[in-house]
Amino acid sequence: MSIEIQNIGKRFGNFVALDNINLTIPTGELVALLGPSGCGKTTLLRIIAGMESADEGVVKFGGEEATHLHARDRQVGFVFQHYALFRHMSVFENVAFGLRVKPKHERPSEAEIRRRVLDLLKLVQLDWLADRYPSQLSGGQRQRIALARALAVEPKVLLLDEPFGALDTKVRKELRRWLRRLHDEMHISSVFVTHDQEEALEVADRVVVMNHGKVEQIGTPDEVYSNPASPFVYQFLGNVNVFHSRVHGAWANVGADSAEGVPPKGKEALAFVRPHDIDIEHTPVAGGIEATVQDVHAIGPMVRVELAHASELIEVELTRERANVLQLAKGQCVWLKPRQVKVFSVPEVPLEEGGSGI
Amino acid sequence: MKRVLPGFGLSLGFTLVYLSLLILLPLSGLVFKASTLSFEQFWSIATGERALAAYRVTFGASLLAALINAFFGLVVAWVLVRYPFPGKRFVDSLVDLPFALPTSVAGITLATLYAGNGWIGRHLEPLGLKVAFTPLGIVVALTFISLPFVVRTLQPVIEDIEPEIEEAAASLGASRFQTFFRVLLPGIFPALLTGFTLAFSRAIGEYGSVIFIAGNMPLISEITPLLIISKLEQYDVVGATALACVMLAISFVLLLAVNALQWWSANRHQSRRTGA
Repeated sequence: MSIEIQNIGKRFGNFVALDNINLTIPTGELVALLGPSGCGKTTLLRIIAGMESADEGVVKFGGEEATHLHARDRQVGFVFQHYALFRHMSVFENVAFGLRVKPKHERPSEAEIRRRVLDLLKLVQLDWLADRYPSQLSGGQRQRIALARALAVEPKVLLLDEPFGALDTKVRKELRRWLRRLHDEMHISSVFVTHDQEEALEVADRVVVMNHGKVEQIGTPDEVYSNPASPFVYQFLGNVNVFHSRVHGAWANVGADSAEGVPPKGKEALAFVRPHDIDIEHTPVAGGIEATVQDVHAIGPMVRVELAHASELIEVELTRERANVLQLAKGQCVWLKPRQVKVFSVPEVPLEEGGSGI
Repeated sequence: MKRVLPGFGLSLGFTLVYLSLLILLPLSGLVFKASTLSFEQFWSIATGERALAAYRVTFGASLLAALINAFFGLVVAWVLVRYPFPGKRFVDSLVDLPFALPTSVAGITLATLYAGNGWIGRHLEPLGLKVAFTPLGIVVALTFISLPFVVRTLQPVIEDIEPEIEEAAASLGASRFQTFFRVLLPGIFPALLTGFTLAFSRAIGEYGSVIFIAGNMPLISEITPLLIISKLEQYDVVGATALACVMLAISFVLLLAVNALQWWSANRHQSRRTGA
């Protein structure tokens, strides 16, 4: 079922949590709401679920107005960051809960409940845990049970609030791929909230980048990563080097053909370059800037080099092969050449540090 | 086996000595004194008409008071945890008052209020409800003094229930009623039982507040502790210890039963732990 969000606004006292949000999620799509903590993404998700009411605006499910519908009548499945399983019920009873509380004339028979619950437990590959209690499960298992419980009522929409936030890295990676497969099998619309850009880029069909209660950009993972609409999106989706206008002046020679959207001459501007879009050379290159190697770290498959240019610190990521060829040492003088630069006008509000939130 | 935490022997020894001196020694003295009676003598005192009526009043009124508090204490605890309202801290500290107030003060106050010419009794009497100087008055007094036990036991447990649990139930289509009885109540039930047990045992042992409001009529509104005192006043020490032994035995069995129930309800969700 499609979800339409029109002009949604929400305040908590003086704090604007959501400001005029418009978003359409077509049936069958998996959408990520991505942003730093406090950007309003969870509030938006809770408004879709009916657990929070918006101050203004309209929520529509499948074209029908649902703004004032109670959470229990919305037919949404909701998965919480901390699972929210019922502690005193076995895994089986947790999943069966949604079926058991249905009004008598809609409630399936005991045999039918049993069949459906076991099917769902098989789907999440945990049918062997049916008799256990939540306290006996690991975090990853609990979250899969929570998902099975949400799916038991055959929701039209699946909403997930930082579903993998409390899990360790390895389990997270496994579970998000598994969620993707599950979503494709279930043919429902799913929305999940995350502050982890890698998670959003890997799993979602579309990413909605949010900041300060506003939508910064909506697009496919590739669009938002390689063609960010704003400095915030650029900084939030991965590491980036920001060069202020005085440095940009030094790069003006090379910038002309590789930089996009160059603002009018003379205006202050910021140039954004991803660390893996910079080459390091030992010899002077046309348009390159001179820098001194400060530090070299080998991190897994790549090598991160920190360099100093005037007072700026520049980060460059190289492949291991390239680093082996270059043989960089601390204090060495090298030349940098960016492969891809994006230039934005200086925003009125100062940029915050991009990052991963909590 | 070498233990990581030191001092086990010393602290266990201390605990046992302390419990022996404070609890076991006086209680065994009691049983010892009662054992000077022959069994027939003991039995005739313990099952005398006045004694039986006193047990009935004591345990009946205590049970009723504990049940009333289990319900209203739950409501009070729920409101105090869940809803912000002006004067909440004041109301919260009011709950502790029965803990601190001398029970005789509570007894006199209640007796004055519920007497036929008291503020409340004046309006109840025309309705045919006599509270003061009847068994009903005993229930009122016991309810008053045992309320904090239920509220204070439940509060931390209710605070521990995450709001997400209720939201999860709602998103799965449960009504408020279903959410409360299927999701919330089972979670707080062990604590409710604990609160009930504490209130019940406190009520069984209560003396001070009851004697002022009960009227203390033999066979009708006389509680066992009072009967024991009156036996002592007649220098019938052995008779008093016989009754005390009966009280001790019944209380012990009741507490054991409630504790077993409580242990069962708290553990039934972990009983099949297989080391996952």
